[in-house]
Amino acid sequence: MTSRHDHHTPQPYDPYAEDDAGGWFNSNGWVQPQQQDQYQQQDQYQQHGYGYDGRHPYQGQQQTGQPFASGIPEQPQTGYDDQPTYALRTVTYQQVPEDEPGYHIPESPDAGWDDAPSKRRAWVSRGVLAVVLLIQAVLSLRLSNTAFQDEALYLAAGHNIIDHWASGTPLHSGYESYFSGSPMLYPVVAAVVDGYFGLSGARLLSLVCMLGATALLYSFSRRMFNERVALVAAALFAVTQPTIVLGWFATYDAPAIFLLALSAWIVVRTNKAPVIVVLLAAPVMVLAVAVKYASALYVPTLIVLAALTAWHHKGWRCVLRALLLGLGTAALVGVGLMYTNVLAGVKSTTTNRAHGTDTAMALAEKSVEWGGLMFAAAVAGAVAYTLRGRMNESPRSHGLAGPGWRWRALTGLVLAGTALLAPAYQIHLSTSVSLYKHLDFGLLFAAPMAGVGVIRLVGKHFRYPQLGILLWVTALCLGVSQSEWRFGLWPDSTPLVKSIEPYMKPKGKYLAATYEVPVYYLRAKTEQDQWTSTYGIGYSDKNGKIHHGQEGYRLAIQAGYFDLVVLDGIATPDIDKYIEQQVTKNGNYRLVGKIPYRLSGGGTGSYQIWAKTS
Amino acid sequence: MRLPTGTRTAVAAALISVLTLGGCSVLDDSNRTSPAGRAQGADPSQSADSDVPYDVVPLLKPAKKYYGAAVEGAPTSMKGVDAYTGMTGKQPNLIEYYAAWGDGFDASGVRNAWKKGAMTLMSWEPFDSTLADIAAGKSDAYLKKYATAVRKLNLPVVIDFADEFNGNWEKWGTKYVTPKEYVAAWRHIHDAFIDAGATNVIWAWTPNIINPVKSVRLKPYYPGDAYVDWVGLVGYWTLGQDNAFNSVFGPTIDEIRAFTKRPMLLAETAAMPGERRRADIRNLFAGVEADDNMLGFIWFNHKKRADWRLEASPLALKEFKRLAADDRFGFDVRKP
Repeated sequence: MTSRHDHHTPQPYDPYAEDDAGGWFNSNGWVQPQQQDQYQQQDQYQQHGYGYDGRHPYQGQQQTGQPFASGIPEQPQTGYDDQPTYALRTVTYQQVPEDEPGYHIPESPDAGWDDAPSKRRAWVSRGVLAVVLLIQAVLSLRLSNTAFQDEALYLAAGHNIIDHWASGTPLHSGYESYFSGSPMLYPVVAAVVDGYFGLSGARLLSLVCMLGATALLYSFSRRMFNERVALVAAALFAVTQPTIVLGWFATYDAPAIFLLALSAWIVVRTNKAPVIVVLLAAPVMVLAVAVKYASALYVPTLIVLAALTAWHHKGWRCVLRALLLGLGTAALVGVGLMYTNVLAGVKSTTTNRAHGTDTAMALAEKSVEWGGLMFAAAVAGAVAYTLRGRMNESPRSHGLAGPGWRWRALTGLVLAGTALLAPAYQIHLSTSVSLYKHLDFGLLFAAPMAGVGVIRLVGKHFRYPQLGILLWVTALCLGVSQSEWRFGLWPDSTPLVKSIEPYMKPKGKYLAATYEVPVYYLRAKTEQDQWTSTYGIGYSDKNGKIHHGQEGYRLAIQAGYFDLVVLDGIATPDIDKYIEQQVTKNGNYRLVGKIPYRLSGGGTGSYQIWAKTS
Repeated sequence: MRLPTGTRTAVAAALISVLTLGGCSVLDDSNRTSPAGRAQGADPSQSADSDVPYDVVPLLKPAKKYYGAAVEGAPTSMKGVDAYTGMTGKQPNLIEYYAAWGDGFDASGVRNAWKKGAMTLMSWEPFDSTLADIAAGKSDAYLKKYATAVRKLNLPVVIDFADEFNGNWEKWGTKYVTPKEYVAAWRHIHDAFIDAGATNVIWAWTPNIINPVKSVRLKPYYPGDAYVDWVGLVGYWTLGQDNAFNSVFGPTIDEIRAFTKRPMLLAETAAMPGERRRADIRNLFAGVEADDNMLGFIWFNHKKRADWRLEASPLALKEFKRLAADDRFGFDVRKP
């Protein structure tokens, strides 16, 4: 006998028993089909009021395990009848109408659960989402280091702009020319938060943005697919390296990702609403682009999504929806460009960004390392979704086969393909600068497809949950270790800042490799324009002649122009070495501190602080 | 009370995940956001600030003069210093002591002095190693260990290596060592300290005054401004020689000023006991006061070949005490 459930095993009284069997086995061996009489007998009982209303008519007999071969037991006629049985006499016979059957089979549902939205399911899903968000928050909050160069730069710029607005202190020019987002938006907001709560506060703002992005990702994935897909998408997105890092990193990226997620949510949420409502997403998209110019790379995805999500409700009018969104966004961008002068900054930091020297292979490797698992899941999801649209087990669910395969293929292509935009663009520029951050923008869109992929891997009725768990735990391990590594890539600047604090004088001139960090921490005592970076110099000698490059540094040091020289050997190792030679040779500078640091990549080095002593 | 198994599992899972994922670094960077200045007078080696190297720059050319002494037993025991303070009425703020090449770093001695507001000047004497060997890196293990200990202490110390090199009476003197070897050894030692991050050392290059060895030129022995913070001078008022400050130190100062402008310190000085001692002391104080580039002096209060101790001549001591009372001499090195 097999253990398969669907194998038909003949049972006593089985109405489906094969006709030619003519009998069955029970504990008494082969029982002849004499039950015909019994059935009739039973019918008779029931007609006389023996019916068990609402119960399986065979139940009582199965319990006995023995047909009523001898009919109603007889009261024994003995002289010791001190415990008579009254059962048969106390049963009241009820007359049942002739047209009603003696028993009926309850209707069994064709599925064990209902796929229609329900409050219970919504709250259970939100509960799981809350756990996902908690994990994401804990992963981000465990990171710790002093401000990164970019964080320091944006926050210091924000403080400068606020001071300018509040008390008219001079504004350092040129933020527009090298910031990769509008200096008036994120830096100002972050600086306000920083003013009250410090760097942790500004980073907390990023955490709120990233948690919001994950929640919105859940919401729009749920609307496009279902809760399972949405939860997996959120769970995967929450534990990738870029998401964890950006959740504790005070830069443009977190708010930009949040705004893109919000745009996507609006686009998906308003798919049944009148076409014009999609314009609500336009200002959010434009804001995302203004906060960080690179967000523009993802605007086309959102526009295509506007068409795709409305296809089922609007047919070809969905194209109109996309068009409207595109035009609305373009119009707002046009107005923005007319009234601001960000175009130069957009060119220098985003479109015409300096080309690097990283090879395509190295960049692809890094992309795979940091987002490959999720992208692979997304590709698998897109393929699986194209092949089969059905998203749940319920046979009653609406549109069993899902949308048409063309729609499914296109959706999978758009969402999963968006993850390739950032690596492709960075490969075009041959630079790995900020690659990990830009990857997260694409992963936000690929996440729903990754959710589909994992759900398909797990299978119907959670047949292989271990595969899904394995994948997520792998993603978690990668995310935890990579984010820890990422946060240790720059040295802890605390001892440096403490060491140079006494040298901050209103008229001091300083040369530093990563001056943004001390400028941020010591902003009460120093201004950005007192500092020269090791990236370039324009030193004006006594005769007013401007010297650049090594010559500029050499002459400035020779003339004792700088009161302090701080080198770290990270960003510009060659020029750092040259400057070190110059200050050592000079004799007017003394090394006042050499602070060793160890980076997570295994690299070591030291801050060198040289002060002018004569 | 018994919790349902599901609840217990959930609570345990949440706790474990928070603990493992969070580690113990959550939100701990609040103390980094506003780096506070170093507490004045605190001992940095005793605080959590020891990763902030002690900046000796304010001590390189302080507004007031160093008032130093070399006293028996100091700074291991500060009893002699206390006696000297009682005798002269002023607490010395620079304590000179002698250490042989090969000795361990006397961190507790430096700390003893520091607690009294004094810095130490260590005269490091290579009796058993040749300077050529030191320059060739044969003592690098010792050097590295020593420098690391100095960095770890994170208090300012003055080191004067192989002083009186221009004399012929020391093992590292002109009889045995060429100027090139001397410079190479000095630079090698200096660089080892920099490699160890020990920027808390003030390097005092200390020749003997040229009066007894006029034929030896000093410039070839000079390692360069990049390697030297102070120029120390060893010179005594001896009977039978003119006692004007300029007669004792003038020629040496003039020769050195031709190649460096580094500030100077009388790293070892005293006057022979006798009738003239009071006048010698007057000249000493006047000479140090007169020169802005003269950081101060260290009185050699030992009985060695002569009785240089102040207590040997009460009248001279009285004069010394009177002159030392001048506010320009002595200050707390912890608050320069």
